[in-house]
Amino acid sequence: MGANQKLRHRTVWLLIIILALGFGAVISRLAYLQLVKGDDLQKKAVEQQLVDTTISAKRGTIYDTKGKVLAQSASVWRVVMAPATFENDEQREYVAKNLAEILDLDEAELLEDTKENTYYVSVKRKIESEEKDKILKLMNDIEEKYEISGVISLLDDYKRYYPYNELGSSVIGFTGSDDQGLSGVEVQYDDYLSGTPGRLVTSRSAVSTKAAFEYNQNIDAVDGDSLILTIDETIQSIVEKYMAQGIVDNDVYNRGVCIVMDVNTGEILAMASVNGFDLNDPFTLSQEEKERMKTVDSEYLIKNGYTEDPSKLSDEEYKKLEKHAKNEQESSALSKMWRNKAISDTYYPGSVFKMVTLSMALEENLVNEDSRFSCSGAYKLYEKNIHCHNTAGHGTETYQEALWNSCNPAFIQIGQLVGEEKFWDYYQAFGFSEKTGIDLPGESDDIFFSEDGSLGPVDLAVASFGQNFSITPIQMITAASAVANGGNLVQPHVVKQILDSKGNVVKTIPNDTKRQVISTDVSKEMREILEQNAITGSGKAGYVAGYRIAGKTGTSEKLNDSNGDGVDDYIASYCGFAPADNPKIAALVFFDTPLGGSYYGSAVSAPVFANIMSEVLPYLEVAAQYTDDELANIDTTAGSYTGMSVKDATKAANSDGFNVTVKGEGDKVLAQVPVTGTTVPVDGTIVLYTDENSSSEKVTVPDLVGYSVSDANYIASYSGLNISVSGSASSSDSVSVAQSIKEGEQVSPGTVITITFTSGSTIND
Amino acid sequence: MNTIEYSSKERRRDYERETGAVSHKSQNYNKRNRIKKRFSLISMGKGLDMPFCILIMILLAVGLTMMFSASYPVAYYEIGDSYYYLKRQLLFILIGLILMLGISFVDYHYFHRMSVVVLAVSYFALLLVLVLPSPTGVHRWIGIGSFGIQASEISKFAIILFLAHWGSKYYDRMNTFKYGVLPGLIVFVSTAALLLLEPHYSCIVIIALLTVLMLYISGINIKWLLIGGIALIAVILILWVTGMLSYAMERMEGWGQALTATEGKLWQDTWQTRNSLYAIGSGGLFGLGLGQSRQKYLFLPEPQNDFIFAVVCEELGLVGAVIILLIFALLVWRGIVISLRAKDRFGKLLGIGLTSLVGLQVILNILVITDWLPNTGISLPFFSYGGSSILTLMFEMGIVLSISRTSNIEKS
Repeated sequence: MGANQKLRHRTVWLLIIILALGFGAVISRLAYLQLVKGDDLQKKAVEQQLVDTTISAKRGTIYDTKGKVLAQSASVWRVVMAPATFENDEQREYVAKNLAEILDLDEAELLEDTKENTYYVSVKRKIESEEKDKILKLMNDIEEKYEISGVISLLDDYKRYYPYNELGSSVIGFTGSDDQGLSGVEVQYDDYLSGTPGRLVTSRSAVSTKAAFEYNQNIDAVDGDSLILTIDETIQSIVEKYMAQGIVDNDVYNRGVCIVMDVNTGEILAMASVNGFDLNDPFTLSQEEKERMKTVDSEYLIKNGYTEDPSKLSDEEYKKLEKHAKNEQESSALSKMWRNKAISDTYYPGSVFKMVTLSMALEENLVNEDSRFSCSGAYKLYEKNIHCHNTAGHGTETYQEALWNSCNPAFIQIGQLVGEEKFWDYYQAFGFSEKTGIDLPGESDDIFFSEDGSLGPVDLAVASFGQNFSITPIQMITAASAVANGGNLVQPHVVKQILDSKGNVVKTIPNDTKRQVISTDVSKEMREILEQNAITGSGKAGYVAGYRIAGKTGTSEKLNDSNGDGVDDYIASYCGFAPADNPKIAALVFFDTPLGGSYYGSAVSAPVFANIMSEVLPYLEVAAQYTDDELANIDTTAGSYTGMSVKDATKAANSDGFNVTVKGEGDKVLAQVPVTGTTVPVDGTIVLYTDENSSSEKVTVPDLVGYSVSDANYIASYSGLNISVSGSASSSDSVSVAQSIKEGEQVSPGTVITITFTSGSTIND
Repeated sequence: MNTIEYSSKERRRDYERETGAVSHKSQNYNKRNRIKKRFSLISMGKGLDMPFCILIMILLAVGLTMMFSASYPVAYYEIGDSYYYLKRQLLFILIGLILMLGISFVDYHYFHRMSVVVLAVSYFALLLVLVLPSPTGVHRWIGIGSFGIQASEISKFAIILFLAHWGSKYYDRMNTFKYGVLPGLIVFVSTAALLLLEPHYSCIVIIALLTVLMLYISGINIKWLLIGGIALIAVILILWVTGMLSYAMERMEGWGQALTATEGKLWQDTWQTRNSLYAIGSGGLFGLGLGQSRQKYLFLPEPQNDFIFAVVCEELGLVGAVIILLIFALLVWRGIVISLRAKDRFGKLLGIGLTSLVGLQVILNILVITDWLPNTGISLPFFSYGGSSILTLMFEMGIVLSISRTSNIEKS
């Protein structure tokens, strides 16, 4: 074979190697990647090529039972910047300066941001329309001035508003920065409220979020569902008003709780943990909590176990630890402030629980007309003396009297009749052993003596009057409702209905009854006993004139000392319902650690209960039925007598039930005190002025505290003043404790002074 | 193999033909040829192999289109001018075409005499880059103003030229070790050693393949290739052990792991390869359409350079890629056919070497972008952006055309 032939020969082989082997391998590799692995690779490529922007869904509105808005989302905007589009420092400075001005941000920090080489920097979230308009103008200016666009953009966002600020704060709850529910129904119903965010899928390049190639897919956001609560804003306001007053009056250290519940449906009409917090600003400590914050110093750090010896720490470490301790203290203060005490706190129910114990005994027919219990002031059990609040003893009592007296020894005996086993059965039946399942987050479990319900004789003895086991306020009021409503244990709930964004009903929360715990007869008897208790018994401080109130006081020792005064804390509570013959609502008032002298439920909580009921019952259109005594103290409204002749005016005022005093010499009435529409007690005095000068005449307000209703009335009318009676004024031993206008002030004759009365001889419970 | 059995008559004829081009005895013959090839606008196409020319033009047109498509997002984002690469590449191609046509008029036998000089230039260039300052620590470029040329481009040409020269001059002694293997070995080892210092491993691979290819068609004994293969493996092992391959190893880290890497350095190292695979896979059978690549939006770094074929695959799909590969195959085929028609052994060897270089570059480039070879920097002829590679390529294609011109004119 010649050299050329050999070359030709080898070249053919070379061609075969290059073309067949080389190109063949390359093509088969490409075919494998593009056809076999193609889908998989493309999927991965798409993941990085497309940008998936979430479109916020508008969060649903929360309404009260009457349709008042309690929480609402409104459109706001987020400002974002694309610093990579800047061309020079002049533009950066201009934008930083203007943004800082409009959004109240730090200019130097913004300038740093403008130097980043990215297309997405979040400048500020949740700006409102006023700022938005300014930003729009700035965007326009930038475009005109520098001919660059897309430097700043606005993204839609939503912000939550709570029109009533503090009202119902622990129930409504609030949302976080990403519009997610963090507490209350906001978190409980987050799935409904939040809706479904939409998606905007667009193309992107590796460094920019801007669309790089044509691709656009839009899935609209579905707005969240709205909630209609069972909470009634009016009732909630009434409750919070009196609870706040109660906290001030009694120097309450650990806040107070009030629940108002529909006894038949389990609907919560009001639930307050007072003082609450501003839902529009939930991360700022209330003034009260701020004042309680302890100074973080070396001593604090040692005492709270942060360090054993601060002097061993370097400055930097010490500062870090100090900051850490401060943060911890603040976050614990915040969570305390947010805590819904009505369902999260457990407490010894105390004497309020006696209504449950007595119900057990009646249901089991263990007590009857002939039953008698004796009280010598203390009850001796296994070498241990259990004292009654009345150390002198109540003597021999019927079971009704035992409750009216809130007598512990008598209830120990009733408890013994019930026995450990039945006590545990009823304890479970009344729903104390399990969470009520209310639709709110953070409900606590009870703490009973033992897991399986077994309890010793001493346990049973103290349990019968509500000591040494812990339940939540919501469990107590649910059980009280069962006692009141014919024996049905209802399901407490705060949401009535869920509506979609178009107003269609998504879900109606049923008014479930879990079970019947006691018979209607026992319930009826309990209502009667408790009503009598509110009239003449230990619960009479909760009485409201004109209404059939039933109630029971409770005072329980907490066995801890939160305020550091060296004395165990107390909880003063009152639980009652009305109207007693056909109960509609139940209310539980409790104050945690009152430090204002008295810590008894009868002194601290009962008047607040009475005040709340006195406004809530008329609001619920419960017809008032006054006794004769009460009729005398009923207020009426002053009519309009001005402009009439003296003779006609006197006649009209008399027929309205007022006494008349005429001041001046004129023929015609020029002015009157009290003015038209003022609440004046029947038999009050209307002063009619007939000439210009006479109206300047003033009288001095006398001291009206410490008198009975009739005495106070007499003194007031002697000075030419009217009084309006408030509080517990029906019993013969009522005493005035406060007057709305201070002694010594100069007022016009006929002015109405509101005087608060309290039942003179309250039982210390 | 059967040189000994060669008839003396055949030998003489062969030898005369090989040496004839440069011998003074055949001056007249050469003169006649050169006159016929004198540059004239009218005779520009005369003797040129039209299929080969057309294939080059097709590849240039397709390559430029794809280079523009691949480069415009990068050009827009990084330079601010979407047409930046297009404009420059177009200029290079125009200069390249003129260069190619110009070279095609040059009698390639000149290179016969120039081969040693070119080889010397190659060594000089390889040494020069080592002393030139380089910010990256990789010495590959010789800059002349804004224009740079890779020293290795010269080396590839120099080795083909030298081995074509040697193989034609001592064609009858190629069977021996001394004449057949040793010169090629010396040239390869010395060049490879300098490339190691740059370092430029992918080029070593190419010149190794070129050396083997040239020696093979020059007619050396096959056993030396086998021995060479074993030696090569041994050398690689030694380099491996001595750590000289550290740079290459760094580049090879992540080789074959582009799709399994999830984080850290490996993720970064395999970024380009991974996005290349995404691009290729996204193409499927028919591609996303011309200009529709998504990976070129800064996901695939430098899509206009070595990884341009990934964008081609994404936009034109397997069908488009295979058609382009077939055009390349036709070019190689045609180039070799032209070379085999050359009247002398030097033309044959030179033509085959230069044509095969194109084929080798295509194959190696696609094996790199498909993650079958480590990411080492081999450009795709006619497609990848770059002045020096385009001009070198067009220069080489000019030589192949010159060979075609000579053989065609002689034929006519």
